[in-house]
Amino acid sequence: MASKTACEEFIPKLSAFIDGELSPKERVDVERHLSACSDCVGRAADLRAESALIRVGMEMLADDVDFRDFSQRVMARLTPERPPLLERWKISLGELFTYRRGAIASFAAAAVAAFVVGAVSVARSGMPEGYASPRMAVQTVSTDPEAHVAPVVMKSEGGDAIIWLVSHRHGLEASGGGRTEEVQTEELDMEPKPAKQSTPAPKLNQERPRGGEL
Amino acid sequence: MATDDLTLVKRVRSGDQRAFKLLVERYQRKVYSVALGMVKDREEAMDVSQEAFVKVHKYLDHFKGDSSFYTWLYRITVNICIDVLRRRAAAKGEHVELDENIQLDSAEANIGALGSRLGTNPQKSLLRKELAAKIEEALQEVPEKHRAILLLRELEGMSYEDLARTLEIPKGTVMSRLFHARAKIQKILNKYLELDEAKSGIGSE
Repeated sequence: MASKTACEEFIPKLSAFIDGELSPKERVDVERHLSACSDCVGRAADLRAESALIRVGMEMLADDVDFRDFSQRVMARLTPERPPLLERWKISLGELFTYRRGAIASFAAAAVAAFVVGAVSVARSGMPEGYASPRMAVQTVSTDPEAHVAPVVMKSEGGDAIIWLVSHRHGLEASGGGRTEEVQTEELDMEPKPAKQSTPAPKLNQERPRGGEL
Repeated sequence: MATDDLTLVKRVRSGDQRAFKLLVERYQRKVYSVALGMVKDREEAMDVSQEAFVKVHKYLDHFKGDSSFYTWLYRITVNICIDVLRRRAAAKGEHVELDENIQLDSAEANIGALGSRLGTNPQKSLLRKELAAKIEEALQEVPEKHRAILLLRELEGMSYEDLARTLEIPKGTVMSRLFHARAKIQKILNKYLELDEAKSGIGSE
């Protein structure tokens, strides 16, 4: 029978023993002691039971948790370097195109039509206001809270130009065709393009396309 | 075969955010289990887990490939847990037990009791919720650093080498902390099981 003092020597090693973390020599020593000491056999069994109990018990508690949207929530909290403004615009516009394709398509068609009209008007009456210099700088971007606003992207040689189409209901009803149209570009060195509503083309000399506010 | 951690880390660094999502999904449950064992509170454990991943992402550039990704992840998790526990203790005006030198009570009333009651491989289906809750409670009785080692060992099956690396302590310390933590928890669980059996009459047969 192993002596009490022998147990005292081996007890601290049992934990590492059941983990398989003793050196080969220590392991042999412990095994030899175990073959002679039923108490320590019981202690080792207790440690194994406890180890399994903790694992299974904690797994059980974690099973209660729904991890389905966990990674989504983590991803939402990440702050990567903010993508450039233009990228963010592309993303939000991409969503717009996905979910409101119909509406966008008609705006785009209107914008193209307006551009053609604008071109004709340029040919007839010279450069529209704001086209005196090759590049224009946008000072402010603002929309009327009551207006219906929808962005349209038009590709230009220098990059994408984002154009706001604003239809102002009051203006439309009050002056019959005297709409307010705002054309704003996104980035300073982009060429703005005129855009119009899908309503009948305006009389060319009455209203000329304007660039962004200078 | 699943892409290994380091490959995913590289992909995240080159801007592939989906790779990070894969890492999160790979470790979320484990990180949560460790956090729950550490802080006990479910919501806090959830917050800690999220925080750990957010931090890992933020400092991914500081992660050197010389250790495993998961040792790094768990180190961050454990450190956040310890912060939470200290803040909590400070809020209550408690003295925080800073570890080390817990007295080992050598009075072992019932050697082999746990082993014979539970066997070495308890099935989840047989384990009762109350016992799981009791385990969680018992864990709280162990100093936080001992607890961290115990959880990483039992839940992640980390080797002593990995534990030493994760917690930045010598291997000998890992061994002694594990031994002390287990002894303490065993005592608590034994007491609980005794009471439980006395109450229900099981064990008297």
